[in-house]
Amino acid sequence: MKKQTEIKYKNQLFFLFAIFLTVFFQTNSHANQNNVNTLIFEGCDFHYKGDLSQAMEKFHAALKLNPDNEYALNQAGIIYTKKKEYKKAFNTFLKVSKIDEKNTYALLWLGILYLVEGNMNNAYEQFNKIISIDPSNADAYYFIGSIYNFRHNTAMAIKYLKKARDADSLEADTHFRLAKAFHNVDMTANAMLEYQRTLAINQNYTKAINQIGWIYYNQNNIDKAIKQWKKTLKINNRDRNAVLNIAKAYNQLAFQELKKKRINNAKKQWKKTLKINPGNKAAKYYLKKYK
Amino acid sequence: MDRRAFIKYGIFGAVSSYGLIAIPGLTFGETVFDLSISGQNFIQKKQFIKAVAVLEKAVTIDPENDWAFGLLGRAYNGLGKKREAVTAFNSAVKINPNDTFSRMMAEILSQKPLPPAKKTEKAMTPLEKEAIKEEKEMLSKIKSVKGLDYKVNRVVIDAGHGGFDPGAIGKNGLKEKDVNLDIALKLHKRLKSSPVKSFLTRTGDYYVPLSARTVTANQYKADLLVSIHINANKNPKPHGAETYFCSEKASSKEAQKVAAYENSVLKFDTPYKKKAGYIDIEDILFKFEQKLNWRESDQLANQFQNKFKKFLPFKSRGVHSANFYVLRRAQMPSVLLEMGFISNSANEAKLSQPVFRDKIAKAIAKGLI
Repeated sequence: MKKQTEIKYKNQLFFLFAIFLTVFFQTNSHANQNNVNTLIFEGCDFHYKGDLSQAMEKFHAALKLNPDNEYALNQAGIIYTKKKEYKKAFNTFLKVSKIDEKNTYALLWLGILYLVEGNMNNAYEQFNKIISIDPSNADAYYFIGSIYNFRHNTAMAIKYLKKARDADSLEADTHFRLAKAFHNVDMTANAMLEYQRTLAINQNYTKAINQIGWIYYNQNNIDKAIKQWKKTLKINNRDRNAVLNIAKAYNQLAFQELKKKRINNAKKQWKKTLKINPGNKAAKYYLKKYK
Repeated sequence: MDRRAFIKYGIFGAVSSYGLIAIPGLTFGETVFDLSISGQNFIQKKQFIKAVAVLEKAVTIDPENDWAFGLLGRAYNGLGKKREAVTAFNSAVKINPNDTFSRMMAEILSQKPLPPAKKTEKAMTPLEKEAIKEEKEMLSKIKSVKGLDYKVNRVVIDAGHGGFDPGAIGKNGLKEKDVNLDIALKLHKRLKSSPVKSFLTRTGDYYVPLSARTVTANQYKADLLVSIHINANKNPKPHGAETYFCSEKASSKEAQKVAAYENSVLKFDTPYKKKAGYIDIEDILFKFEQKLNWRESDQLANQFQNKFKKFLPFKSRGVHSANFYVLRRAQMPSVLLEMGFISNSANEAKLSQPVFRDKIAKAIAKGLI
């Protein structure tokens, strides 16, 4: 009887202890979670302010409490990338992808790190993997389209960059690269439209302004082309491409005048060349020749 | 799982830390502040549909109100409408870059697939109509080939030197500029009957600055720049053909200085990206493209040299890399061909024959197609 009471008592004690343990761990896990959240929030704040080491400290502290926190790991991966510690970054993103294979953010960064390494095939596979998980991932389409552009496979570049644009039309870079792909195959209306969309998002996108210049130039509208490149120089007076493009255009105009035997007009154009590109040997030579 | 828990507690934590405490009995007002307070109360009561309604109204009245956008993000998140939540959080961050919570929420929600964005139909502009018409006409004509092999469909042929710059001159008076131009014109003619479209940097005996040559390659969106030259040496013995491509490392301090200047221009080109610790994706892509172009130039150089070995009675002097300006500024793979030595009498004799120059053009074409 006593033994039975003892057992009953022990059972009750065990039951109470079990309840205590449950409550304790729940509260503790809740408290832990709050700590993790606070640490991550602080880490984000430091990260935004550019204090990478403080941010990393916070994310590492959060990861000590919760080693599988995908967001903290991704943030740590980004900081490693910023510090150019690519191997550590790669391993961190890889860990996230093992925790959740659908974390497309980590997968995307693995792809980008393959690009940094110059590993085209792995990057290409990685971005395709993302698309199989998320068929509306604009970034993955963008990178695949860009890779095709680099391989001068224009049809495929257009296909993927259009998908990137349709999934997210607010990225100036996507419109620009799509424009370039169209431009590569002389689809100038499409190229012009996408360059204009690039500029609608970022009016200082000088590379798009320069390319519009080439569309005009190739249509033999040299004056309009020069105006475009001058627009670039107003934004960035050191833009070497704009300088050299204008120099080429003035030289071209000079030769046109020379062919018509209007030497004074030709000289005027070469003078303009030298004003924009003082080292231009052709302009220097011909000005001397026709002095 | 933890990420989801974080979103849940994160919102709670942020709501309390931001002092967003429900104010009982508060009724709808028409000012943005009142609407936002109402929205906040609805969020606290988990009445997300009502919260979205008032907060949408708030951001319509004041599209520059980051607080209302942040709340709207939370309300959409409560409804499980992740894409709308991300849009609202991003709007809050755009207005107030110091809104760490909204940025963090947008990042967390974007870590995993979001439902596709809704498309809005708009009336087409004349250019859009023209673009659609052009696309229908053109796109079917372009071959869609899978795989990552490099495609050469357009080539810019650069005849080295010209005009007042004769290049090297042989003992018998043969000028490099003339040989270069003749080979370039012959190659251009030959390619007319091939699928490769070609363009010339010069068509006559005039001087074209080096910079203008790469500018031409960039102008025509070439897939390859082939610069044709004839070699020369003080020693009359060296002979044969060799191919150069641009190397990664700068060959001189001067070249390093130029590169540094150009990089500084590149940075200046994107002032909106100037932020400490910013990862410039476009820069990563630029460097990646450059690496691919160098690699491709190397392969193409070998391809050309193999054809020269096979089709020309010249000694093959192999493939080399150097930091040629004409190659460096090109935005595509590029090679420089040295088709024999004008300083070698046997080579000079061959180069002076139009038939032999045609043979050279044929060998180059074989390397291309």
